Amino acid sequence: MRRTSSSIANLTWVCAVALIACGAQSSSRKGLSWIASSAAAADAAPSNPYASLAKLPDWNGVWDVTRVPPQPGAPPPAPPKLTPRYEEQWVKYQALNRKQKGLNFVSEVASCIPPGVPQSMTEPYPIEFLFTPGRVTILIETYALTRRIYTDGSPLPKNPDPSYQGTSVGHWEGETLVVETSGILPETSPLNGINGHSDKLHITERIHLINPDTLEISTTRTDSAVFLEPYTTKAYYKRHRDWKIMEYVCEQNNHDALDAKGNAAFSLKHNPGE
Amino acid sequence: MKLRHSLISVVCTATLLLMKSAAAHHSTAMFQWGTEKTLIGTIEKYQWTQPHTFIWIVVPDKPGKTQEWGLEGMSPSWLGRRGWNLHSLNPGDKVSVVYYPLKDGRQGGFYVRVMAPDGKTLEALPTQAP
Repeated sequence: MRRTSSSIANLTWVCAVALIACGAQSSSRKGLSWIASSAAAADAAPSNPYASLAKLPDWNGVWDVTRVPPQPGAPPPAPPKLTPRYEEQWVKYQALNRKQKGLNFVSEVASCIPPGVPQSMTEPYPIEFLFTPGRVTILIETYALTRRIYTDGSPLPKNPDPSYQGTSVGHWEGETLVVETSGILPETSPLNGINGHSDKLHITERIHLINPDTLEISTTRTDSAVFLEPYTTKAYYKRHRDWKIMEYVCEQNNHDALDAKGNAAFSLKHNPGE
Repeated sequence: MKLRHSLISVVCTATLLLMKSAAAHHSTAMFQWGTEKTLIGTIEKYQWTQPHTFIWIVVPDKPGKTQEWGLEGMSPSWLGRRGWNLHSLNPGDKVSVVYYPLKDGRQGGFYVRVMAPDGKTLEALPTQAP
C-alpha cells in the first residue's frame, strides 16, 4: 500500500516535470527572449562607479605645504606684471618686506574671514584629497575649508555665484589633475601682497606628484584687471601618511582681528571675541 | 652693476614670494619680529586653541606686585605635530619664555621657545625664519 502511494507520488512528479517541460517548449521563443533580455540588462547596468578610481594616482595621506622648492637651485619665480592700481599695492608690500622682518601682508583673514582660492591652498596647515566618482574634494585644515572639484565632465558654469573657494571643475591628464576655477569673491587676495581682484579672476591649477611623497601645484592666475599677463607660481607639498587633519575654528580664540582702520592689531583680552 | 642689482632684487622678490606664513593667518606687523626678549615667571593659563595657542604668564614686578603677560604662539595644528600638547605647560609651572615683543609696549608678544621646569626647551617656531 505504501509502495503504491509512493509510486503514484513519483508518477505525479514525472507528469508535473513533463508538463512544465512541454509548457516551456511551447512558449520557448518567448521564454528565451526573456532570458536574453535579462542578460542584456545586466550588461547595460552601470558597473560600480568606484571601480573607476582604481586608475587614479595615490594621493592618500595629508599634504603639508613647504616653503621652498624641493630642487635646490630651481629658478625662482619672476615677480608679477601688474596693472598700475595693483602695482602700487605690490610696491608698498615689497618696501615693507625690506624694512621689517616677519610677515607683512595684512588682509581680512586675520579677522577670521577665510582666504579664497588660490591663497587657501598655501595656508600653513595641511590639506588632503578625497577621490569619489566624478569628483575630487580638497579639505583644507586652515579655516576648515572644502573645495568641490567636479570631474564628471560638467562644464564650468558661465556666471557662478561668487564664493570664497569659487566654482571648480577638473579633468585628469594622465596623472595630473587640471582644475579650472572661477566665481571667486573679488575681495579676496589672489597673491601675497595683493588684496582684491575682479570678478573675472580665473585660476588654473595643475596638480601632480613629482616624486612619491612630493606634490607640485602649479597655479596660474588670469585677471586682466590685476595681471598684465597670466601669473604662475608653484607650491610644493610633503606627504605625511600618519597625520590627521585637525579641527580649526578661527573664532575660538582669535586675538588678531584687524582694527577699525583695517590695520594689524592684537587684543590682550582673555576673551577677545566678546 | 645694474644687472647685478636687478638680479638681487629678483632673487629677493622670489624669496619673499616663496616664504609662507609660519605665524599662520595674519601678518606679524604688530610684533618686533626677530627681536628676542625673555620673561621668567609662572604659568597662569595655557590655551590650546585655534587659531593660536596662548600663554598667560605672571611675572614679578615691583616688590609685592606682579604683571600679567599674554603671549600668542603657533597653533595646535603646528605645535601638536612637533611634540607639543595641551599639557606641555600647566598652571603653576615656573618657566622662562623667549618671545618677540609687541611694538606698542603693552605686555604681550609672540612666544618663540619655552624652557620648561624639567629643563627641556620646547621650540615653538620653525627654525627657518618666517
